[in-house]
Amino acid sequence: MNLNSWQAFLIISIAIWYLSHQAGRLDRLHHRIEVSVAALDGNLGRRAGIVSELANSPVVDPVTSAVLAQAAHDALAVEPHDLVERIDLETELTEVLLASLDEDDEVAEWRTDIATSQLLDDLTIACGRVHLSHTFHTDAVNDCLNIRNQWIVRFFRLAGYAELPTFLKLDTRLPSSLSN
Amino acid sequence: MLRIGIVCPYAWDIPGGVSAHVRDLANALIRKGYYVSVIAPAESDDDLPFYVESTGKPRAVRYNGSVARLSFGPLVARRVSKWIEQGQFDVLHVHEPLAPSVSVLACWAAKGPIVATWHSSMDRSRVILSLAKLAQTVMEKVTARIAVSPAARQTMIEHLGGDAVIIPNGVDVQYFASAEPMDGWGAEQKSLVFFGRVDEPRKGLAVLMSALPKIRTVFPDLKVLIAGPGNCDDVLDELSDEDRASVTQIGLVDQNEKPNVYASGTVYIAPNTGGESFGIVLLEAMASGTPVIASDLAAFKRVLQDGESGKLFTNEDSDSLAQAVIDLLNDEEEQERLRAAGKARVVEFDWDTVADEVIEVYRAVTVPGLTVEPDMAGQVLGRLGRLRILPEKESDL
Repeated sequence: MNLNSWQAFLIISIAIWYLSHQAGRLDRLHHRIEVSVAALDGNLGRRAGIVSELANSPVVDPVTSAVLAQAAHDALAVEPHDLVERIDLETELTEVLLASLDEDDEVAEWRTDIATSQLLDDLTIACGRVHLSHTFHTDAVNDCLNIRNQWIVRFFRLAGYAELPTFLKLDTRLPSSLSN
Repeated sequence: MLRIGIVCPYAWDIPGGVSAHVRDLANALIRKGYYVSVIAPAESDDDLPFYVESTGKPRAVRYNGSVARLSFGPLVARRVSKWIEQGQFDVLHVHEPLAPSVSVLACWAAKGPIVATWHSSMDRSRVILSLAKLAQTVMEKVTARIAVSPAARQTMIEHLGGDAVIIPNGVDVQYFASAEPMDGWGAEQKSLVFFGRVDEPRKGLAVLMSALPKIRTVFPDLKVLIAGPGNCDDVLDELSDEDRASVTQIGLVDQNEKPNVYASGTVYIAPNTGGESFGIVLLEAMASGTPVIASDLAAFKRVLQDGESGKLFTNEDSDSLAQAVIDLLNDEEEQERLRAAGKARVVEFDWDTVADEVIEVYRAVTVPGLTVEPDMAGQVLGRLGRLRILPEKESDL
């Protein structure tokens, strides 16, 4: 059976449409990942900023202060300012927070100072936002990898020059003294 | 302050769970000082609040076992695109993204930070699945997902994978607290109230009506108030003349009358047989100070704390319902206890508390300097015009 030219045309059109459709999906997903990285980046930056303010609080003891300031400074000072490169430092900041804010009594003492109490509230909110935006970023990477792994996407190089997205391993636990 | 664009897929001026949710969320956000614009279908452009933009008259379509009024078509799509272009929103909040209506169109037309809220829990049926496939590309643009209940979250995960943050529905507690019984109803005479679309089987009016004869043998003076749009003559015609005479139907209820309708009953009955993911009606009745008897759906059990703040009966079992009603009408102390327990329970669901949680999600997805933009790739011509598939760089972030 001979394939009429219009049949061939139809099949090729459908194939092109499908490929362009998949490419469009990938484009949207890459865009979503960029947005979610930017949001996470911003929220992490705010968190580190609040931590360094907290380190400067007069009621915080000098050792805690030094530890907090160092961790916040590390997270803020990486050059170039790329989230993927500093993600381990952000996790270290989380760990420092977990370690220094684990005693409810100590934190209650800091809270007697109004400015510090306000900072702790801000920190709670910032940590919550970091957690949410990290969750949303992971979702986006998941969605994207599902498509990137399809053979047709790889064969036709539909992702173009876009890098393969990576999960950002980040500890987003909230220190116990802030969770109430 | 953030600029928030909210998309409601169902008709603004027809009572329904999703549109009520959107209205209360918008009001709470505006009270907190945010800029809010809502786009929704509306039967009539009169009497719309200042923050609502209409996409025109919706069309009635069967969806998820209900008759839903949805809005679609090229004209609607153009209005949605224009709204997004002019809105300059920091975040777009889309409700019920699987409903084939304005929500899908908005997801198509926009890119940037998009939040989606899932309301329904539904069984994995073929109709929904095919829609999910269609909507999949749309959902891939959604940055953050919210579900109003564990059941709604479960539905979402089954259809699309991924995960969602659970943020429950809210109730405007103050608004309902001032409820008064309507004229001719109230404490003197025992009465039951049913609220919901009466011609929708899953709202369970038939279960209540077949329990009625048994209840009336014990309480012959009992009256029943049925509120909600639709025609339920087929259910009422099965009643005896006497039973039928005890039923008053008041049809579609004005928003302002709603609290008073709840307050007109000695007991509020929610005989829903399924498809409910949350049970906002229960909370509204409780906020109006009326004890609740509800079917033991998972969502209702959760709201009523397994019978602690309201009574439960076996779903679709009219004998079990009749027994529960008779027991409660006989026990005034228990009614009093349930009134107090209900009022205490609803505070946890006050909109001002709930809206704060939603704002946290907005904050987690928004990026300063990045607004929701029209997405040309959602339109065929825009896609053809692109040569290389590279994500656009926003280097100035």
